[in-house]
Amino acid sequence: MDELIYNIAVWIDDTPYSAMLHESYYMYNWVESTHVLTLMMSLGMLFLIDLRMLGYAFPDVPASKIADRLNIPMLIGFTVMFVTGILLFYAVPVRSAQSVWFRIKMILLVACAINAYLFHKRMNESVSSWDNEARAPKRIRTGAMLSLVFWTIVVICGRFIAYDWFDCDYDQSAFIDFVAGCIDGQARF
Amino acid sequence: MPPAILGPYTRTILTAAIIAAALGFSFTYARLSVYTELMPFFEWMETTWFGYVGKTWGAAFATIQAGHLIGLAVLGGCVIVSDGRLLGVLLTDVPHRKVIDRADRVFFWALITLLATGVFMACGVAMKIYYLPVYWYKMLALGAGILFHYYVRRPLVAHEIESINPIILKMTAIASILVWFLVAATGRWIGFSG
Repeated sequence: MDELIYNIAVWIDDTPYSAMLHESYYMYNWVESTHVLTLMMSLGMLFLIDLRMLGYAFPDVPASKIADRLNIPMLIGFTVMFVTGILLFYAVPVRSAQSVWFRIKMILLVACAINAYLFHKRMNESVSSWDNEARAPKRIRTGAMLSLVFWTIVVICGRFIAYDWFDCDYDQSAFIDFVAGCIDGQARF
Repeated sequence: MPPAILGPYTRTILTAAIIAAALGFSFTYARLSVYTELMPFFEWMETTWFGYVGKTWGAAFATIQAGHLIGLAVLGGCVIVSDGRLLGVLLTDVPHRKVIDRADRVFFWALITLLATGVFMACGVAMKIYYLPVYWYKMLALGAGILFHYYVRRPLVAHEIESINPIILKMTAIASILVWFLVAATGRWIGFSG
């Protein structure tokens, strides 16, 4: 599996546009900045929705209104983050594919998506009975708390990707080699 | 100062004058003497516990950076919601007053998070940022943002919203979004410098 991921990453790395994006100082920085600054729209909206469910933000505004109205800007923000995130991976595929932090981040993004699906499903099923209450029921609050925790770790992992503590070209423990999927004899980043 | 002297826009004019004076000070030789005197303060920042941890413990520094980003996300969210309401594009079926007041509470704590994590990060790289022009641009933008938010925007929207000229409201909302975006963008720019 790791070898397959590595080979795909090398294939992407060999495409001319990957090198062009990576080597373009301004374009790469624009893409990275857009990825980071869109946090205000995507995570900003998401955290406000989660804080509403926990009773810390907009406690006297119906929960369904906050969730419905902030959903669109949040999804626009996440779309931009997703596209710029793919571009960032496209620019540095080999190092990213073998980054411990990138791998944790991807797993957590899947967990965030599942949590969001369950959160909305449970909310839509029951919101009419607690819509005007300052705090959502425990099941919904748990979903909101999980969302806050998962996304916080996603941001931390995203920040850690920039650091080379566990890069495969350093001598790492067998555990890190396993988690990062380091391939013997790899020659490029 | 009595509002009558500068008419109904006293706070706006004063804020604009303070920002213009700060820019004038920053982009002329007038700043050099103050800039030199600030150096011992930045050297001291690196010797503090925050500075020591920031310099020697990369993981702690990166985690605080992530906290800074999360603070920025929440602050940005509050700005988008509150100013989006003033622009008539978000939460239009919730009264202005409710949206603005509730968003402002969260905004305050997000700003505190940003400032606290920002001070920690600054201590870790104090001498680096001292020599970075973009760090000073960010401080100017942040000062302008806080001044604008608490001295112009907040007192303005404390009035009955319906009694305020809609164009003034929309201009205030756009200015607010732009100033906080500028704070975020200059912060990102620091990461590309030095």
